[in-house]
Amino acid sequence: MVNDGSTSGAGGANGSKEIGDEYNGNKSKLNRRRFIQAAGVGAAATGLAGCLGGGPGGSSEGIPSEVTLGVLAPAPENNPIGAAIANSAELAAQKINNSGDVLGDADNVSVSIKNTEESPSTGRQRYRELTLDEGAHMTTGVFTSEVLLQLMDPIAQQKTVHMTTGAASPKASNQVNENYDKYKYHFRSGPINGYHLGQNMVDFLEAKGDDLGWESVAILVENYEWTNPVQQAIEDHIGDLDVEVAMEERYASGTQNFGPIYDSVEDSGADAAFVAMAHTGTPAIVQWAQDQRPFEFGGIHVLSQLPAYYGMTNGACRFTVTQNTATPQSDLTDKTLPYVEDYNSAYDSFPVYTGYITYDAIMQWANVATELGTVNSDEVVTGLEESSFTGTAGSLDYYGKDHEFAHDIKYNFSTDSSPEEGVNPVFQQWQETDGSGTQEVLHPSYVSSADYQAPPWV
Amino acid sequence: MATLSVALTIIVQAAMISALYALIAIGFTLIFGVGGVLNLAHGATITMGAFSAYYAGQLGLGIPGAILASVAIPALFAGLLYLGMVKRLEEEPIMVMITTLVVSVVIEQAIVVFEGTTNRSLPQLIEGQFSIAGATFQNLLGVMFVVSWIIIGLLFLFVNYTKTGKGILAVSMSHKGASLVGIKSSRINLITWIIAGAFAGIAGLFLGSWLTASFAMGQAQLVLSFSIVVVGGIGSIRGSVIGAYLIGFLEIATTNLVSSSLQGLAPLVVLVVVLLVKPEGLFGREFAE
Repeated sequence: MVNDGSTSGAGGANGSKEIGDEYNGNKSKLNRRRFIQAAGVGAAATGLAGCLGGGPGGSSEGIPSEVTLGVLAPAPENNPIGAAIANSAELAAQKINNSGDVLGDADNVSVSIKNTEESPSTGRQRYRELTLDEGAHMTTGVFTSEVLLQLMDPIAQQKTVHMTTGAASPKASNQVNENYDKYKYHFRSGPINGYHLGQNMVDFLEAKGDDLGWESVAILVENYEWTNPVQQAIEDHIGDLDVEVAMEERYASGTQNFGPIYDSVEDSGADAAFVAMAHTGTPAIVQWAQDQRPFEFGGIHVLSQLPAYYGMTNGACRFTVTQNTATPQSDLTDKTLPYVEDYNSAYDSFPVYTGYITYDAIMQWANVATELGTVNSDEVVTGLEESSFTGTAGSLDYYGKDHEFAHDIKYNFSTDSSPEEGVNPVFQQWQETDGSGTQEVLHPSYVSSADYQAPPWV
Repeated sequence: MATLSVALTIIVQAAMISALYALIAIGFTLIFGVGGVLNLAHGATITMGAFSAYYAGQLGLGIPGAILASVAIPALFAGLLYLGMVKRLEEEPIMVMITTLVVSVVIEQAIVVFEGTTNRSLPQLIEGQFSIAGATFQNLLGVMFVVSWIIIGLLFLFVNYTKTGKGILAVSMSHKGASLVGIKSSRINLITWIIAGAFAGIAGLFLGSWLTASFAMGQAQLVLSFSIVVVGGIGSIRGSVIGAYLIGFLEIATTNLVSSSLQGLAPLVVLVVVLLVKPEGLFGREFAE
């Protein structure tokens, strides 16, 4: 049992007992090391240093007695993606506090969670609160590229390491590459960037095309910032495959009625809708299933990555395929299942992809800071660049500063062996077993749990 | 043959969508026609209907529970909204607009706080599909069409052949005149708001069951209601039904024959054109003096 009950979880989104109502401003602390009270003066001094500019990560030396991790999550009290970020940050802090080795010089590691409300302006405000008011030594989280891109300049100003765990736009890494000294504090621990997401979809189609039987596809992409590079990568690479693109549509953000779009897919004769959907995913999937459209469905469907999604859609997501960072059953590394079990024990639910990534990001940052003996951001940046850290989702290695995707996690596609460097996302299909839905892994083979099932109505 | 099939598909699709649009708009026009105020919380009431059904499903109350909740809760809400706020501001239509707009925002934000921004899937009211002219449609949409016409028919019977209905007609014609013959306009207004709330709830139930429910689902429906009642003539139930079918057919024809990316555009174009060319709408205000 990891959670001793003193922590506050973002439970409302995932069925855990506690409601995380403190996320709009207050700090949640882990008080396992009770003698922290004696170190209060040190903590206050650290906070004051943060207020004086440059952020504590830039001005302090060594490991302070009180380490603050700043977390930016969308509506962690009711959004499963935000809840996974918040809960996993709490778990990571607890793990660090429980270990004698990681950040051992610190008396206490605390987590401060702020709600970005998926709004760029709110995200900026909360980021400043974390770094200026609360003196966070590193920040992590952030869902949606729209929020992340508005944080790049504040991150550069505060010179505090930020590890993104839920936004995919490669514009951020392009900024690091083009103006390294200014933007070097940004790392993307996951998911793989938007361009690689698209490439990953095509790689999967190439590797599993025979099993899927998709000889022609209709590319359906929602019109949001994150899908621009995804679509670009699909267009760049799908021509290399023996697959016909019967139709391609970038549909309006906020689309609720997919009837006309699906009519076009049917008319195109495509075997499958090859999708990149996040915000519009639920109406798309429910209408596809209820209408029993005569084409299959797969690609990147972010909401299908949620372990509770089968119940949320009354089973409508059955037979759909999506890329995912990991699933509760995928034994990607020796840390994956222990993390999943700890999470489940603490929050009575399973993590979403942002959970794995946030946990990994914090553990990597803490390990690098421990090795260096400092939380100084400039030194930690160098440490992270040189680091290769095995996390729950794979190996966390970053592209160098001269790479177009500088400081993004490395993408390494492999069908049958776990790559030594970088991450190799899984592709899952929702299947039904004994009346309940499970996220069965189709790819890669070393963690796969089932063969692909086509919808019976196709 | 192919052209005939496409035409038949468009007609059937449009007939079903228009039936939903009529359900969405009637409550809105009813309140304006009788009370002379615009209820900008109408879209949020539709959202409330959808989420009432969602919660009923979550509580395991089944389909009958979901239907009952989607009708009763919005009707109760609309009644309370009238008694608690609108009744006091009846002589100030602008204040009613502002108040109902604020209520609408509060409802949406409450859903965001409790449910987040993710769409929710409602219990499936009716499973299965049917085919017409080679095209397949959900049974849900067929039932929606039938229910819509039953409700429209019942409303006409209620308004024209019951004492209360005639009271509604009288108040819509003249508050003073109705008062002189002993009709309490506040009671009639309350009944109108409750009926409009129930209709909005049913529309929310079907809309949510068909497309899923989200906190902002009512916004587009409010715009749609505006467009329909402006086309039909503000305050005219008959005009609203015809306006709903006009916009429904136009939208389906546009998305089928031109581009699927044009959905949602037809009501706005029609709204602007009618306001410029025939601002009183097709049927004027039939209840007006």
